Amino acid sequence: MNGNSRQQVIPPTHSRVKAGFVVYSPDDENRALIILDEGELVAVDKRDGNREIKFRMHPGDIVGVASLFEREPFRYTLEASEDSSVTILTEECLESELKNIPVWLLAILRSLSVKTRQLKESARTTSVENSLKSLAEYCARLESGVKYPIDTVVREFNWLTRIPAATIKGDFKALARRNFIGFTKDGDNLFMQVHNATLLQIYSDYLHAYDEGIPWEPLRLSTAQKRILVHLTTLEAGVEMEAPEWISLLNERELPIDVAQWITLQDIGCFVQSTGEKFRVDQAKVEYYLTAIRYDSNLRGAV
Amino acid sequence: MFVKEGEYLFLEGDMATSMLIVKSGMLVGSSRQTHQRHPQNFGPGSIIGEFSILESRPREYTVRAAEDSEVIYVEQSALQNELEHKPGWFKATLSFLASHCHAAEENGKKGKIVQSLPPFLFLFSKHLESSGSDYIPTALLQKKMLVLNNTDPADTDKLLQILEGIGLLKVEGDTVRVSSLQIVPMLYNALRYRALNKQVSPDILSITDQLVLTAFVKAVRENGISIRSGRATIDMELFKQQAKKTMFGSALTIRTLSPLLQNGMLQSDPTYNEGVALESIGSISGDFDKILDLLELNRIFPLLDKKLV
Repeated sequence: MNGNSRQQVIPPTHSRVKAGFVVYSPDDENRALIILDEGELVAVDKRDGNREIKFRMHPGDIVGVASLFEREPFRYTLEASEDSSVTILTEECLESELKNIPVWLLAILRSLSVKTRQLKESARTTSVENSLKSLAEYCARLESGVKYPIDTVVREFNWLTRIPAATIKGDFKALARRNFIGFTKDGDNLFMQVHNATLLQIYSDYLHAYDEGIPWEPLRLSTAQKRILVHLTTLEAGVEMEAPEWISLLNERELPIDVAQWITLQDIGCFVQSTGEKFRVDQAKVEYYLTAIRYDSNLRGAV
Repeated sequence: MFVKEGEYLFLEGDMATSMLIVKSGMLVGSSRQTHQRHPQNFGPGSIIGEFSILESRPREYTVRAAEDSEVIYVEQSALQNELEHKPGWFKATLSFLASHCHAAEENGKKGKIVQSLPPFLFLFSKHLESSGSDYIPTALLQKKMLVLNNTDPADTDKLLQILEGIGLLKVEGDTVRVSSLQIVPMLYNALRYRALNKQVSPDILSITDQLVLTAFVKAVRENGISIRSGRATIDMELFKQQAKKTMFGSALTIRTLSPLLQNGMLQSDPTYNEGVALESIGSISGDFDKILDLLELNRIFPLLDKKLV
């Protein structure tokens, strides 16, 4: 202490160096901030036995900030290309200076370096939050019944999403537990096989609805609506009728349906408008719902 | 300063020259600009608005108190006052850290777009293959990108703009359309091959191969040669004359032609074998559409690095 509440500041070192002098080498154990006051320094990449000048420093330029604050090693050798004058701040010198600044200013410095580190880190990692959903979406695009070498599939999916291989393997096991995929071994090689790609698409949609907090229609259908869907699959393809005709047809066949229920089935895409006021059944959509209902326990993971 | 639960401190985009430190309680920030899916919490010790105090930037978030909280505002004048009493390197260090942070942010944004290319091509090519149509609804593509890679719809839009700029696709209203069904899957496979095998895909041709194939296409088109069952056959003399014009004066030789004959992209009559002379070849044929697609792939492939990275 020097008589006030401030702590002693360790002053930086000012040096005059001759042309060719090595001011900093990546082999140096001590990290430092280097400020060029006069002259010129060159940053040289000497890795792999090469000598490549990466940039030139001019008076006022500073290096080593990322090294000190973000723990990012400075990879180049700094050499004086002419007689120069430099200021060197060691880690201790910087720390002593930082002890004499207000807490909020220290918080700014910390926040900037932490933010930068986090941004760099997130650029290297996956942005996927639900890796199982992502894998189900991917597998839904593989051909059902075809054997794929697991190694290749893991590598491709890792390349697509940056999800780590260990996580992918764990998720494959989760899909296998739900009987969506199977594994076979041929010699030393392990293969995976999608049983039903549509089911994986349904599973991905189910997980997505859950993640987004939106209701997932197939599991909200009433027993009466399910019976209607089953009946719709028995109808001839291409039947087109107006809404009142559909309602009376279903009622005639002892499948009670009112206008509200009709609108619900239309909203979830089981009926699509074709010509004028007429509607036809979207068989693919109906099949999708029925498959989801049939494999309800697999989707919920209760198998 | 005390703030009550639910009270707004500032709105995203507000002009500002101060930052705040959360002393106690909890603040929550949301941003439309950064397309944040989840709001960000700021607990005791958090600081908000460091770029407002450093660079007078508008507020990044809309911030409200999630519970009764105490905050401390620090004005730009306090920072300026502090820096006046510091050595020059201190200000330079602060500026460096701020610019480094901006650079990391920009790189992160660019990186996200670059990283979203493979999943985009995967989804689009699989859709083209399974549907047999030449388009995909933009909303469906955005949703699938979100599910597969957690790509924000705005980033998918940016990627679409870039890919439209290099002529890979066309955004038409609510749909994304391609002019050739083959290019997107070919591009995906070329990138996949490079990533998984650490080698250039066989579909990525040398400049010489591209020049020879371009000469072939021009010879077919300019001489009105008919295409039968997708194949075009051209007389060798005609091909040589066209090559002279198209290949910037360099002549067609057996050395320039042989890689394409060996990999089956072009066929010769009589059938090519090693040691054969160019003069002994009577005609050259090839799958015309495949050659056009391959040339298009090779036009687009190098542009990806230029436009994306």
